[in-house]
Amino acid sequence: MKNLQLSLLFVLLCSGHFLFSQTYKICQLHILARYGNAALRLSEQPNILRSSDSLQLETLKFYLSKLELANKGKLVYQEPTSFHLIDAANENSLLVSFSIPSQVTFDELRFDLGIDSLTNVSGAMGGDLDPTKGMYWTWQNGYINFKIEGKSKFCKSRNHQFQFHLGGYQYPFSTVRHLHFEVASSDNMTLKVDVKKLLDEIDLSQQDHVVSPGKPAVLLSEKLGQIFSIEKQ
Amino acid sequence: MRSKWPLILFLCLVSFAFLTTDKSHFEIPKNWPKPLYDFSKNPLSENKIRLGRALFYDPILSRDNTISCASCHSQFTAFAHVDHDLSHGINDQIGTRNAPALMNLAWQSSFMWDGAINHLDMQALAPISNPLEMDEKIEHVVSKLQHSNIYPQLFFNAFADRTITGEHTLKALSQFMLTLVSSNSKYDSVTRKQTSFTAQENKGYVLFKNNCASCHIEPLFSNFQFENNGLPIDPGLNDPGRMKISQNPNDSLKFKVPSLRNVEFSYPYMHDGRFKTLAEVLKHYTSGIQQSRSLSSKLQQQLVLTSSEKVDLIAFLLTLTDKQFLFDRRFYFPKIILSQTKDE
Repeated sequence: MKNLQLSLLFVLLCSGHFLFSQTYKICQLHILARYGNAALRLSEQPNILRSSDSLQLETLKFYLSKLELANKGKLVYQEPTSFHLIDAANENSLLVSFSIPSQVTFDELRFDLGIDSLTNVSGAMGGDLDPTKGMYWTWQNGYINFKIEGKSKFCKSRNHQFQFHLGGYQYPFSTVRHLHFEVASSDNMTLKVDVKKLLDEIDLSQQDHVVSPGKPAVLLSEKLGQIFSIEKQ
Repeated sequence: MRSKWPLILFLCLVSFAFLTTDKSHFEIPKNWPKPLYDFSKNPLSENKIRLGRALFYDPILSRDNTISCASCHSQFTAFAHVDHDLSHGINDQIGTRNAPALMNLAWQSSFMWDGAINHLDMQALAPISNPLEMDEKIEHVVSKLQHSNIYPQLFFNAFADRTITGEHTLKALSQFMLTLVSSNSKYDSVTRKQTSFTAQENKGYVLFKNNCASCHIEPLFSNFQFENNGLPIDPGLNDPGRMKISQNPNDSLKFKVPSLRNVEFSYPYMHDGRFKTLAEVLKHYTSGIQQSRSLSSKLQQQLVLTSSEKVDLIAFLLTLTDKQFLFDRRFYFPKIILSQTKDE
């Protein structure tokens, strides 16, 4: 009798699993780092992007976090523990994969560019958030959301270098940016980041570095939304 | 009856698992507030504390492997830097501020004199990377630890992972620092009704409550807020204090109120270590306050103390000395580091 009860329980559990289990599919977001239409080959130096000032790019790193999908304005998917360090010099980081329930359809991709304030005050983290990744300030702690470094003859600095480390989470100097894009419901999406659109906005002869939280970091961060776009398939 | 054996065996295993679980837990002293540190994100364990203690005393954290956290934070001075107004780093470089005492850190929401650091886990990164202190990079520290003879095993014991990460290094350091709880001074014994103050200490306690306790709130003896306590600016340092972090002019010359526990041994005093004795500190509060726009509202009215009242007040401050903490063997230089410092 007891065996029968146990068998029944087993069958019930199995059927429950079958009835309520979801199937998932892999969704991929490809990051395409560009200067206008030119690919960024950071490992090949010098890689002159603009002849007028022999513009070179050496570093492009940023955090993409809180990835979400929405359909007709309604949230349909939220990636759990969603923190991705994108590094234009690291091919592996340029592909973000996540699994979503198979039946989910969406028309909007949302994410944060940078790291939210709660994460900034929550202590030591691992993975892409590990402070060894070079995206963390130590003298006044907090994450660097977006880092771009290179050289331009317009810069009056030593070795004509420019460095923009954009971060800061405290009011009124918060730099995290919430971005959202219309997308076709597809397993493959391509997010283009065009640094030309940022560098064209900066007069490098007047401003060659921002390396701490504050108003200059906020002003430059406000320009970051426009450098991202979704590539139509 | 026999069919119940698997259940009994299961219950035995579960009980055994609980019994063998690490018993390291954080004890909150009686009548103290709830700690601010979130232990659920970094639960204490003996092996993690042991690792943190080794890291705290190991000069491997500095670029040239010459100074450790303990170089500027000695246990016998409540983990402050005795006799140094400004602390020094590698190559005898002199820093810009006095090394604060380290104790009761689980109750603090920000670290450093200007609150530049928002979490205990991340605090160690500041001295590690400051060019005037350890002048090292956390990436390189992790690499040095990975190649050492002792650390891969210590990290495995602590985190079940021989691969060393920044996160684990910082969390282990936090674990050791969290255990630095000072709650066994004479003052504490008096509050627990195990002993009583002398008449002089009692007078000092009354003076303290009337004149100092608005910032140095019991039982931690600080409100951990930022205040301008009227110190004239040192033109050699020109330290703006909290304003550098908040970029708010109202925070000019504000520094974090330090705890007064173990104040007998944590000299010299103030953010730049300008006062060597408690008598000098009291002289400042009674006759040295410099008026300015951001001067603490609690110091607007002049503090008047007779010379005998000053003696009484200091007698009370000495009851905040916690010898058990200052000589607690759990915080000593660990033997495992000694084994690494053999002469070649």
